[in-house]
This record gives sequence, structure tokens and C-alpha cells, in this order.
Amino acid sequence: MRPLFFAWRSLTRQPARAVLGIAGIAAVGALLFDMLLLSRGLVLSFSDLLDSVGFDVRITATEALPSSGPPIESVSEVVRTVKALPEIDDAVPIAFGRGAVPGVMSLDLIGSGPTERNVWKVLEGEALPSQEEEGAEPALVVNRNVAELLELVPGDELTLTAIGSEATALPKVVFVVVGVADFYFDTPDARTAAALLPAYWRAYGETRRDEADMLLLRSSAEAGPESAVAAIREVYPDLNVFSNEQFLTRFQRTEFSYFRQISFALSTVTLFFAFLLVTTLLTVSVNQRFAEIASLRALGFARRRIVADLLWESALMVGTGGLIALPVGGLLASRLDTILKAMPGLPERLHFFVMEPRAALLYVALLTGTGILAALYPVYLAARLPIAATLRKETVS
Amino acid sequence: MIVEARGLGKVFPMAAGPVTALQDASLKVHEGDYIAIQGPSGCGKSTLLHILGCVETPTTGSLLFDGHDVATLGDFERSRIRLTKVGFVFQRFFLLPMLTAWENVELPQGEAGASKSERRDRTAELLEYVGLRERAGHLPSQLSGGEMQRVAIARALANRPGLVLADEPTGELDEATGEQVADLLDRVNADGTAMVVVTHNPLLAARATRQLEMRSGRLFESGGAS
Amino acid sequence: MRGSKTVLLATAIALVCAGVAHATGDAPDILVSRQLLEARDLSVGEVVSLSASRTGESPRPFHIAGVYEPTPDPMRLTHKHWSVRLHLSDMLELTADPDDPLALESVSRINVALVDPGDAPDFARDLHARVPGLFATPAAEKDATAFVVLERFHFAIAIVTVLGSTAFLLALMVMRADERRETVGILRLVGLTRARILLTVLVEGLCVALAGAVVGVLFAIAMEGVFNAFFQWYYDTALVFVHVTPGIAGRCVALAVPLGVLAGLVASWTLLRRDIVALLRR
Repeated sequence: MRPLFFAWRSLTRQPARAVLGIAGIAAVGALLFDMLLLSRGLVLSFSDLLDSVGFDVRITATEALPSSGPPIESVSEVVRTVKALPEIDDAVPIAFGRGAVPGVMSLDLIGSGPTERNVWKVLEGEALPSQEEEGAEPALVVNRNVAELLELVPGDELTLTAIGSEATALPKVVFVVVGVADFYFDTPDARTAAALLPAYWRAYGETRRDEADMLLLRSSAEAGPESAVAAIREVYPDLNVFSNEQFLTRFQRTEFSYFRQISFALSTVTLFFAFLLVTTLLTVSVNQRFAEIASLRALGFARRRIVADLLWESALMVGTGGLIALPVGGLLASRLDTILKAMPGLPERLHFFVMEPRAALLYVALLTGTGILAALYPVYLAARLPIAATLRKETVS
Repeated sequence: MIVEARGLGKVFPMAAGPVTALQDASLKVHEGDYIAIQGPSGCGKSTLLHILGCVETPTTGSLLFDGHDVATLGDFERSRIRLTKVGFVFQRFFLLPMLTAWENVELPQGEAGASKSERRDRTAELLEYVGLRERAGHLPSQLSGGEMQRVAIARALANRPGLVLADEPTGELDEATGEQVADLLDRVNADGTAMVVVTHNPLLAARATRQLEMRSGRLFESGGAS
Repeated sequence: MRGSKTVLLATAIALVCAGVAHATGDAPDILVSRQLLEARDLSVGEVVSLSASRTGESPRPFHIAGVYEPTPDPMRLTHKHWSVRLHLSDMLELTADPDDPLALESVSRINVALVDPGDAPDFARDLHARVPGLFATPAAEKDATAFVVLERFHFAIAIVTVLGSTAFLLALMVMRADERRETVGILRLVGLTRARILLTVLVEGLCVALAGAVVGVLFAIAMEGVFNAFFQWYYDTALVFVHVTPGIAGRCVALAVPLGVLAGLVASWTLLRRDIVALLRR
């Protein structure tokens, strides 16, 4: 009788115990799996988000996040200079501000330089033109929330006032809505509008002329983002230049680190719990079966066979529970993701739990290791069992 | 000769002081022998049986199994002796409760490396031999005491051992059932398997061809010197 | 100058340089965050230069009058808490745009404390109606959401943990009940009723569950110290991450004790349902 089959029969002789043990492992395993997904989920999701915009290098004035730090001044010259670099294919200046539809609502106002590649995804109508028509009203792209709330379609006019800390009153600017777009970093309730930079500067009464909060750049295929970053840093050592990967590394160390810590702490706790569960169940099971084990040893079963039986028993319990934990963990992750995405200020497209093969492999490895470790003490008890003394004790009792 | 014990001694270290379970016990078991060992409780009968079956190691003396000194063998080799050369029958049967009668008898054969067909044939033969072929699919909890002991005897014979060691095989059985089991043990011995039986039961002991007595850890011929 | 003046100043902190620029008596007082004090090896009483420009232009001397611990903000947990507090007039003078005649009278934000905090939403609406272009946001509305989200997240985790623990507990209780199968069979044989045996199980379960719950709470309190110490060190913050309140401890005990007792009763009942012979049979 193979150890696996023997282990199966040992486990199922008390179905209630086996089912409960497996259920416990499944619950704990689901949590462990989710914590492993959480440990890199934000990074992976944010990386996808950054890449989806289509630009792999960014420039800000300082290390502060865009719009929370000082602007890049004389941005037109900076754009001309970096665009001339062979490592750069395209450079788009972006400014972030706040605006209001007077008496109706406030919204986020973005100023963008011309680009062939859309920084947002146009759903209806057209993208912003490459330059404003002389004398015509400036173009505006709005997001779905704004379009629905104000019942806007492409071609409609919209009057906006910029909001800033400027002491003087800012002018009202009449825009023509040319398109409705999906802005990648929008929160679910965001109200966003974007115009070309000259119109944006006009809305701010020219107080922000030739300033931008960020430059989006695309490196050339031959050079790649790291070479592009190095080339720009040579020309502008005072500016903060970073690739998407460098940006992610920083976020991993700072903004996302809380969730990494939480996932690490909870992963450790769940592993410890799984270890405790398996080792306790197996130890109690072995204690209850001393007579059987001693009789098997007396029959001629070698220690290694007894050890193999117990390890298989542990593997069956942990393996079955671990397998069930995967779909349960998937459902739980979906629920937890929904909860965490309600955090204010988070882009709608950002996810905390992202499925990746690495997490699944790590999960299997950790659970396997835990199953083996947890079986060590009961295995030790069984292997070191004094056969004759146990038989004697069982006979007398 | 299957087993030769020379001057076996066994001392158990206890918190209250060492306990000598066996002193200078010598015994030779040949093919076909039927030896019964009697004695009061705690005299060392079971200890002797355990040493003969390589379950326990002696403190002093030596044990030769098929001519090999057991003291020179490791745990794995001793396990192989128990698996293939010795069969054990216990007072409390010690059948595995989650396995059927068939599976209990088949278990040691699988461990010894027998093929599936060999195991099937041998298990059927043994259950037939002990008169329980029709109860093959029953769990121990569904068998009577006598039936469980017969399954245990079948299990002990699974790998065709040359020696069966029985520790109070009728201890948990009533007189009638005990007689049945005793008859079965007679048959096993008549078919060529050597037997050493430890028993309180004088009727069972009387069936042996050689009777020994154990007193205070020493072995004596029944009614005579050691 | 646009953008948060507070943040501008935080940026400029990178250029703080120690030194006595003018006589200490001339320099206005500032408070420096503990983290900045430690990071830049500053000390109270020292005179430092602050500039509102990223490049350190037009620095002015300020006297470090004291140290403060920045209010722990979970939303800014990973940010470096390098900041200083100035008198508003000093701040305005330092950061004013010389071309803006109204710069010395402009602020980026005004915090308002109401007599009745419950009036906040009405106040915000009223203010916006009276002064278009001015936007007021109730603070609680913004801050509460993050806490509520985290609370829900932790609660969901707790539910899963409790489910796993319950399965574990039941498994142990079932095994324990099985160990006592023979004892229970003998007691039934002797004449004790099921109810009598269950009562014994109940009392025993209650004692064990209570003891376990208390030990668990004590362990949680001990771990509270460990977790807080670690995270406060890691993030260099005074934020309290884990806090076992009497309410939380009470809730845990209120959940654990009935669970423990129930698990024991359920496990024992599965045993007591069987007939006496089955219990005594090996």
C-alpha cells in the first residue's frame, strides 16, 4: 500500500477532522494568496497604468509629485532641447490645475502640449488639435463625468474659469468641446477637462505662461528609457528626470510601502497560523495512533516508511486546502480590491490585487515549506516511538 | 535454527531505579518448534518476545537471527527481519481501524515489495486459511474479537515468516473463541511455521511441544532448571 | 506664486543651511519638525537660512525656537516629514512674489473651526454661494473616507481569520471529543444523561474559552507594542498603527468565548448522538 494511499485512508478515517483541517488551511491559504497578490499588486497595476499612457520617461522640476511641487519654467525651450536629443522621440508638456464652470461645478483642468499620441483615450469626438486656430475658440476634451453632468456633446461650448492662488480675478474662457475622453489617472468621481497649453495659460491670466508641471517623453526604440534619462540629465542636471521603472521603484519604497508591509505582516501571520494548524492536527493525530504506529513498526515498517506516511498526510491536507484556497482567494481578492479602491484620490484603473504567476509560485512554495515544517514534530514523535514500550503500555491500558 | 538467544538481559532505567526485566535468558528456536512461555505478570515474558522479534534490543547478551548477530544490524535491517521473517500476533490485535480485513492482511506484503497479483492471491489464500474470506471487506470495528485475532494471524503470515511470535493471543477472548484461535495456531505450526507463544492460558500452553517458565526475568524449562 | 506655499517651503527645506546669518535677536522664530531636526543635525537655538526658491535664492535667517512632532497622517505615511512652521507674516514675506501687489495678503487655505462641527456641510455650501470662486470642503468628509476604507479592509481580513480559526478550533474539538469517546460511553453506560454530560462540556468549554480569550487579548496587547515600535521606527512617525482598545478587547472576548463554547458543544454532541455500544467499541 503506497504511502499516499495510506495517508489518504488515515486522513479520511475521521472525515470531520479532515474536512475541518482542510477548511482551515483553505481559509488561511486564501488570505496568504491574497497577501502575496497585494505585495506587488499596486506596483504591477501602476506600472500598467504608466505604460498605457504611452510615455516611458518623465521630467518634473523637483522630486515632489507633479502639481504638488514647483513648475518647470521656460518649458518651451526645455521641450525644444530634449526633442532635439537623438534618444527622444516625443516630448509633451503637461500642466495640472483646477477650474470651475462658474456656479455649477469645479473640475481638474489639464493643459497639454501638442502630440500625435493621445495622452488620454478619446471615446467620442476628436482629440485636441495640434495647434489652436487663430481667432477660434480653444478646444477642450472632457471626461465622461463632466459630459454626463453637463450633458455635453462634441461641438458644445463650455465656459471655464481657472482656480488658483493668484490674487487677481482670473478670466472666463469659452471653450469648444471637441471630444469626450477617458483620462487614465482619473478617480471614479473625477471631473476632468483638458485643453492645449496656450489656452490653459490664458485661463490662468498668463501668470503661468511657459510653465508646466511635467514633461512626458517617449524614448526612441534604439536608445530606450535609461539612455534617454541619462542624456536629459546631462543637459538638465537640475531637473528631476526619471523613467517609469525608476518612478515605480520610488513608489514601491514610499507610497506603496504601507501595503507591502501589511502584506508581509499578514503573510507571516497566516503562514504561522497554517503551520500551527497542521502541526497541531498531525501531532494530536499521531498521539492518538501510537499503538497503530508501534504495531506497524513491529510488523516491519521501517522508520522512513512511517515518516513518508506522515509527510504524505501533511501534504494531502495542505495540498487539498491549498488548492481550494486559490479560487476562494481569487474571490476574496476581488472583494478586498473593491474595498481598497474606495480610498480617496486613487485612479479608477488602479488595482491592489493583481494576479501574476510569480505570486502563485511563491504561494505554492511557501505552503509546501510550511506543510513540511509543520510535519517535522509529529514525524519526530512517530519516528522515535519506542515500539515495545508503546505496545506494552497499550496492552496494559 | 531460526533464532538463538544467548544470555539475554534487559534492564529498564526508571526514575525510581533500574528494573531488570530479563536475566541471562537463553533460547534456541528451530524450524517447526512450538514453544510456550508461561509466567506471572511482569516476569519479563513479553520483553523476551520483543527481543526475539527484534522489536527491542537487549542490554546484555546476544541474539542471532538466521545466524546473523542482530546487534550488528541497523534499524532498517531489523525492520526487514520483522517484515519478512517474523510474524507478530498481539493480545489486542492491533489491526489498523481504517483498513478492511483484506487491506490489513495485504499491508505487509505491499511493504515487502510483492506485486499486485501476488498480494491478491496471497491475501485471498490467507483469509481462506483463517476462515474469513467472506468478511474480507469488513472493517475491524465490524468484526468480533475472535475474528479480529484471526485476521491478525493472517496478517502475521502474510510474508511467509519462518517464525510467529504471539503475545497472549487469547488474552482478550472468551474460552470458546480462544480455543478456535488456539486451533488455528496449531495449524500454522503444523504447516511448518515455528511458534513462540507467551500466555497465561495453561490450555494454550499445553498445546506447545515445549513449555518454558519465566520467573523474575529468568527462563526455566517447565518444572525444571533453566 | 501658485501651488501650496507650505509645500514650496518644504521643498526649500533641502537648502536649509546652518549658520548665524544675523544676530540671533533679529531672526524670527520658527519651529522645526523632529524628523528634519534629526536628519539635518540641527538643534534648538540655532539660526538657519530658509529660501522659498528651489535654487536657494534670497535666503533669510530664522531662529529655531522649538521642535514639533508633525501630526501623524496615514495618507502621508511615507512622506518625509521635513517641515517648518513659521508665523504667517514671516511665511508671506518669504514667499511673496514681488510683482504681485496682493501677495502679502494672499493665503492658499483657511482652516475654520465651527462652534458646531455638524454645521460644516451647510457652512461650506453657504460660503460658496456667497463667495463664488471660493471652495470650502468639510475636513471630516475628506479624511474619514480613507479611515473608513482601511477599517473595512481590516475587518474583511479579520472575518477570514476568524473563519480559519473557527475551522481550526472545531477540528481540535472534534479530535478531543473523539479521544474521550470511551469515557463518554462509560458515563452513559453508568447512567449519566446526555444533558448532564453536555453541561460538563459546557462548563469546561467556558473555562477554556475564557482563559484562551484572555491570553489572546494579552498576546494582542504585547504584539501591539511590537508592531507599533517597528512601524514607527520604519516610517519615522508618531502614528499609532495598532491600538487594542477596551472596546476591541471586549468584542474579541465576546466573539471568542461563545465560539469556543459552541465548538466544544457541537463536537461533543456529534459524539453523544451515537449509541452507547458504538461509543465503547474500539
